[in-house]
Amino acid sequence: MTTNRVLLIPLIVVVGLIGVACSIEQALPPPLCVGGGSELIVAQSVPTAKLVPCLEPLPNGWEVDSVRVDQNGSVVRLDSDRAGTDAARLVFDRHCDITDAVLVPSDQSGVPAYEAIGRIQPGFLGERIYIFDGGCVRWEFDFDPDVSATLAIDLQARLTLVPRSEINRSIRETFIDEEL
Amino acid sequence: MTDLVAERQSPQGRRRRPSGEPPPLPHELNRAAIAWLVAFVGFAVIWAWIVFSDAPAIWITERDLGIAGPIVDNRKDWLTPTMQRINRLGTSWVTPIIGWCIIIGGLAARRIRHVLLLIAALTVVAALSTVVSMEMSRPRPLGVTQIGHWEGFAQPSQPVALMTTALVAGGLTLTPLGRWRRIWALAAAAMVVVFGLAQVYVGVDHPSDVLSAATSGVAITLLLYRVAAPERIFPIAYGTGKTAHLDVTGARGEAITLGLREQLGIVATDIRPVGLEGSAGSTPLRISQRDGPDIFAKLYARNHLRSDRSYKLGRTLLYGRLEDEQHFTSVRRLVQHEDYMLHVMCRAGIGCTEPLGLIEITPEREYLLVTEFLTGAKEISEMEVTVELIDAGLAEVARLWEVGLAHRDIKPANVMVQNGKPRLIDVAFAQVRPSPWRQAVDLANMMLVLALGSSPELVYERALLQFSEDEIAEAFAASRGVTLPSQLRAQVRRDGRALLDQFRSLAPDRKPVAIQRWSLRRVGLTAWVALIVASLLSIFLDNLSDIGLL
Repeated sequence: MTTNRVLLIPLIVVVGLIGVACSIEQALPPPLCVGGGSELIVAQSVPTAKLVPCLEPLPNGWEVDSVRVDQNGSVVRLDSDRAGTDAARLVFDRHCDITDAVLVPSDQSGVPAYEAIGRIQPGFLGERIYIFDGGCVRWEFDFDPDVSATLAIDLQARLTLVPRSEINRSIRETFIDEEL
Repeated sequence: MTDLVAERQSPQGRRRRPSGEPPPLPHELNRAAIAWLVAFVGFAVIWAWIVFSDAPAIWITERDLGIAGPIVDNRKDWLTPTMQRINRLGTSWVTPIIGWCIIIGGLAARRIRHVLLLIAALTVVAALSTVVSMEMSRPRPLGVTQIGHWEGFAQPSQPVALMTTALVAGGLTLTPLGRWRRIWALAAAAMVVVFGLAQVYVGVDHPSDVLSAATSGVAITLLLYRVAAPERIFPIAYGTGKTAHLDVTGARGEAITLGLREQLGIVATDIRPVGLEGSAGSTPLRISQRDGPDIFAKLYARNHLRSDRSYKLGRTLLYGRLEDEQHFTSVRRLVQHEDYMLHVMCRAGIGCTEPLGLIEITPEREYLLVTEFLTGAKEISEMEVTVELIDAGLAEVARLWEVGLAHRDIKPANVMVQNGKPRLIDVAFAQVRPSPWRQAVDLANMMLVLALGSSPELVYERALLQFSEDEIAEAFAASRGVTLPSQLRAQVRRDGRALLDQFRSLAPDRKPVAIQRWSLRRVGLTAWVALIVASLLSIFLDNLSDIGLL
């Protein structure tokens, strides 16, 4: 075997396998309000919920780390270039614990919001919870030290709660006569 | 076939070879594998179509719900818990258990290639199903209540794909072709069908999710195994010796018979393996012929080529610059080299086996090297080593030195004695214009072989008649455990007389020849191999969960 082949063949193998490995690890897309993404299976993950969360384009500096959607609900993990890795999570669940939370003005029309603040400094730690019929959506924040909590406000504004009936209508109009 | 041979002979009786006929054993992809591949390609086309158009997705979903709907609508209280349990086990424990059992079983049976193929198949299937599911973005069945475990998109069903892959790979890794393979296939099919039904019953998969996943799993696994570990080269067998040895019955046996007749004009009446325990690099055969004495043949296939490549890479890493050599790039070249070395050695007057020709069994894949059979010959370790035999053995090495050759694999199994004369066999590793170090090691190994049946003092005394003290000292300065072929090393260890040390004490003092020589190429190659191994291990461990092994 020539030196070139000694180097080339394993290189191809390694690059190929890394590519394959990256493909395997590729996260699900987040639920997108513009359509597509994982919106439908997110809705299926909490079949009792009358509202389903979706995300508008994220603020600068935020990106999706991973999305997990299964029969128990959905979790979107988000990284921030300032607040750190896994600084925010959007959780869609059947039940949310609001024992330690207080009612706050809601940015989602007709949906009560609760907040539980763990700490403001050295890094913001807190939750914002929306409770609705058949389910709830919870923001979990855990920022790196010395990062302003206002980053959370920017991020929260990108959440929309879509009525399940609206998603079902869209399915009937564009796909088949069935619903979630 | 005789008529065919006759027809192709010229009026003078001359026969042109090769005849232009198809090879005795053509390379074929198994029919079942082709059928599964076709089905898989069908799904791939549908997937591609769906990416560009909703029409097929709507059509398929309507059919899927048409099948799944009645099943879901008629769920039975007595059946539902069982189906939910099957769904839970199938999506969590079954594939990891099957996968690790196959890995452990495969490693225990020393089928590293098959184990690596299992991991590769799981990786490829997992990657494919992930990529396809992202592109399809298919939800779980609409209008159906899901009462089981699921994760992510529906098409194709990843748990079904991984379970199918593990089961198919298990059959190809652990069960011999025939009855046991059929039983395994039936059991595996039953498992996949039951699991697939459960997935549809609990409402987490459409029928087409299950079908496409199972098809992908079977097709990709079969393709990988057929290409990288074809059954006729890597047969699964238990209690039949080294895995390097090929089965010479059935189609291959007939092909060898046909090849002998067509290509060498030899009519074989019996073909049987011989001396398998002393050979790991080929399948040695003794062939009886209708019109003459028995002949000897060595069957080489691509697995032997790969062994040669691994062996040489290992030696380059172990010894560096002194063993810096090229491996063979095809089976044809490997066999041609051995045939050439036999001719060179015989012409030089070295005790060898006379080469009779080469036979092409499958072009570029399998060849047969045919030589005379050493009738009545015995391995030197089975004989009394007399002074005459010692002199003759040493004379063979002296002659190798004289004509600029090195055998490089001198061990008891390769020194046969016929009518009191030593014959060096298995010249696959032999080299023209070798380094002096290799020739020195040949001398040391021959002296060790001879001393096993006599005494180091006697061998040393006789060696002085043909070699100088310096040459013998150099031979043992260059020799140590790793330079001894494994059979010789094992016999020296079993002998218990510390033969190497005794020879060194008899010879003049000489600084050991440094065999661990570092060169830039060796450093780079070592670093490269370490990088590859570390990368593969890291990728494997990082993805245990994704490929269904955790």
